[in-house]
Amino acid sequence: MKFRGKIVDIACLNHFTRVITTISKLTKMCVLRLTPDNLYFVLSGKVANGGVSMWCELSQANFFDEYQMEGVSSEANEICLEVTPENLSRALKTVQSAKAVKIKLTKKHCPCLTIAAELPTMSSINRVVTHDVPVDVIPRRLWHEFKEPSMPDFDVSIYLPPLKTLKNIVDRMKNLSNFLVVEANLNGEMNLKIETDLVSVTTHFKDLGNPPWGDDASQDGGPSQSRDPDDMAQARVDIRKLQQFLMGQQVNPSKSMCNIVHQRILHLILLHEDVSLQYFIPAVA
Amino acid sequence: MLCVCVCAYRPVLAKAIQSLSRIGDELYVEPQEDGLALRSVNSSRSAYACFLFAPLFFTRYTIPSGHAFRCKMAIKSVQAVFRSLASLEKTVEKCHIELDGQKNRLTFTLHCRHGLLKTHNLSFQDSESLQAVFDKDSCANVFRAQPRLLVDTVVHFPPSLEEVTVSVSDERMWVRNHVEEEAEQSKAMLTELCLASDEFDHFAAQAHNSITFCLKELRGLLVFAESTGLPISIYFDEPGSPVVLSVTDNVLEGNFVLATLSDDASLRKNNTERVRTSPPPPPPPDDFMNDDMDSYLIAMDTSIAPGPSTSRPPTTPLADSTCSKQPAAANHRTRLHSEVEEEDETSDTDKPPNKKFCSLFFGSVLPPSSQMSTQPLTKQEVLASDSEDDTPGD
Amino acid sequence: MPLSTQSQPDDEHYALVASLDNARNLSNILKAITFKDHAIFTATPNGLKVTVEDSKCLQANAFIQAEIFQEFTIKEDLVGFQVNLTVLLDCLNIFGGTTVPGVSTALRMCYRGYGYPLTLFLEEGGVVTVCKINTEEPEDPIDFDFCSTNVTNKAILLSESLKEAFSELDMTSEVLQITMSPSQPYFRLSTFGNSGNAHYDYPKDSDMMELFRCTKTQTHRYKMSLLKPSTKALALSCKVSVRTDSRGFLSLQYLVRNDDGQICFVEYYCCPDEEVEEE
Repeated sequence: MKFRGKIVDIACLNHFTRVITTISKLTKMCVLRLTPDNLYFVLSGKVANGGVSMWCELSQANFFDEYQMEGVSSEANEICLEVTPENLSRALKTVQSAKAVKIKLTKKHCPCLTIAAELPTMSSINRVVTHDVPVDVIPRRLWHEFKEPSMPDFDVSIYLPPLKTLKNIVDRMKNLSNFLVVEANLNGEMNLKIETDLVSVTTHFKDLGNPPWGDDASQDGGPSQSRDPDDMAQARVDIRKLQQFLMGQQVNPSKSMCNIVHQRILHLILLHEDVSLQYFIPAVA
Repeated sequence: MLCVCVCAYRPVLAKAIQSLSRIGDELYVEPQEDGLALRSVNSSRSAYACFLFAPLFFTRYTIPSGHAFRCKMAIKSVQAVFRSLASLEKTVEKCHIELDGQKNRLTFTLHCRHGLLKTHNLSFQDSESLQAVFDKDSCANVFRAQPRLLVDTVVHFPPSLEEVTVSVSDERMWVRNHVEEEAEQSKAMLTELCLASDEFDHFAAQAHNSITFCLKELRGLLVFAESTGLPISIYFDEPGSPVVLSVTDNVLEGNFVLATLSDDASLRKNNTERVRTSPPPPPPPDDFMNDDMDSYLIAMDTSIAPGPSTSRPPTTPLADSTCSKQPAAANHRTRLHSEVEEEDETSDTDKPPNKKFCSLFFGSVLPPSSQMSTQPLTKQEVLASDSEDDTPGD
Repeated sequence: MPLSTQSQPDDEHYALVASLDNARNLSNILKAITFKDHAIFTATPNGLKVTVEDSKCLQANAFIQAEIFQEFTIKEDLVGFQVNLTVLLDCLNIFGGTTVPGVSTALRMCYRGYGYPLTLFLEEGGVVTVCKINTEEPEDPIDFDFCSTNVTNKAILLSESLKEAFSELDMTSEVLQITMSPSQPYFRLSTFGNSGNAHYDYPKDSDMMELFRCTKTQTHRYKMSLLKPSTKALALSCKVSVRTDSRGFLSLQYLVRNDDGQICFVEYYCCPDEEVEEE
């Protein structure tokens, strides 16, 4: 079980750091799965996480100039680590000016992801910095908990308005209420609603568009077949969880959308070139 | 007794107070022949800082002759005078400091633009002299660096980190975070930075030692050094004796004296936990085969927790130079305790940050007649010298 | 004209309809008086007055003249209600209260009468938010009986010069003492805190002093906790008029210029804490 990667391009390093910083805002701990082609950051929807789950997928070739790994075995060529993304983010942030950054799985006092960088200096010799970020190696018998979540059988799928706008609104609504109702239909309309003893607030978005999920979306005939386009599907969620998701965004996604399983789940998807982030917030009664 | 200092406002004064506030809660003020001394010490007495503003710093510096006077006050109240640090530079035209022994009053008068006059009358207490005894000139290791280098170094460590360990060789300085508990080791992120000697303005490492000290006070000094652009000199000998950080220019001198972890603590630690105490060897060739993690996985899959001994990589043995050179320091701390004189103030409710630091390495009460200088005093008062060997600076 | 500020067919049901192209012109000035949740709204054909009070000793009023609004329709001579000001501000800033030029939140505010909510229609970039804020019957504001004929001393200062003083105030001092006098020290702010006292003296001929008209030396103390909220008004304003009457009551009037260069006023009244002997 070995892993070693090297990032030389400064834009890649910056992008990689942003992705990890985004993840660090979403969760304190998560699982990093390394495969020959991809890196996955995974949070499984346990009660301890408030039922929230996350799946972030990165294609290694778009970030790493060198990438070598040897999994547990040839038939299970993967490595599964529990990491603190905050530590990785902090380590990466301090080496943004590096000529090259190496990330290695190492044996130190405990298993670590070691981030080593050579920082340019005025002198002839580079300044060398290493950060040993402790990780836990996850045994194979537990891997099944960190598989890619299947696409929920959603009622409505809709493109999100600009995340900045969404964040502003959710921030204010958070001041007023603990819960938020997200509802959307197949007519490109989405509403955010709160209601308390003092005030009720509804924000109406329209013309957002509904993503075309093809036959491969594993839908039972697709949602659009039978559903009245004006019929709203809704999910009432803990407003803090949605706020956390919006707050952490460091990557400006090229596409952002959300799927709603009526009264069950809010499924948020951000796509940015080679990175995809999925976030699942359970609905509450 | 009346002491008057007048100067054109210079942010360096406020910055000095700000960096002293990182050390302790009280500001000790002492007008001396050789300038105005501002000092602070932390509650566990393991860190001390002093700024001396020479008479030339002021346009007027008048103190009564032959009469020592000193006082202390809450540093917060002095900071309040300079609260709008950013705008002061633009608005204050003249600063007038008056220490009135009769009225027990320290008055700061700031003459500002548009005729606005700000007068702060602060009450104070008489105080003992606060004087650390240290001899930086006899230190085996002396370095000088631009503040930028140290700022760029410190930035790699989290703000919450309490202590760093500095190790030196002829050509290199290593800075890494110090992790206290063994239990924390498996969770804590370890950071190590290696600086080449030619990044320093001056680099003289005669004793290849590792010392561990608090980062907070260093950050405090960096606030000052960065704003003034003054280079920082670092002096130290060995674990257990203080490290001195200094800044100087024509009209001011600042010295920060910080306790370092005594060697018994760091030695024990080194034996049980951290493998590298002295400068680590050059990193092994970047060998992909070196880091095979299978042992972990096997251990975990069979639910056998890997013991520290099995999981430890067979790396460098403890560099013997460091261990053998240190005298047994078991009685080091005891002796220091016994020689620390009692203070009238007993309100140190704050828990010392770390008991392994020598509790205090200074005599805090000195006869009023003694020389108030930052130079070493008589041998008896040197509390922070070598433990076994009574000859200071041998 | 943005959608939400246009007249709506159901306007006839409302006792009060007020529209603004830029909601910040209302939210900003309300921020200057936000120190308690309860705010009394009093609308007359002249405009809107919003009042917030604390412990019967402090009153703050914000005035927004009818002309500031793009539409201001009132069916009665006086329409009054009480709402939670913090909630109202969150609603007004629902889109983030951006200061980006060219982007603003349009507002249409409607009130139907007793028992009905205050309804806000907010629109920015095609997104519409509807807020319904519950209202209560208004309480009668305290009458401080501060009459300009009883004013003893008056000074008008550029707010700039007081901002620094207020940001540096020693909050360990229970009171802020204001001395106004025809002779030295003319205009003095003093605090008496844990570690000593501080005086800020403004000479009467300072170029920060636009007007100085003092007839008699007066020294009065005001509770720091009461005056602290006025710092918000100071921060928004360009000029402040400081007046005291023969009883030592303090009036602070702030001239606030909004994004569109229009002028609004905020005033604070404060009772003196205790009489002090002149030094």
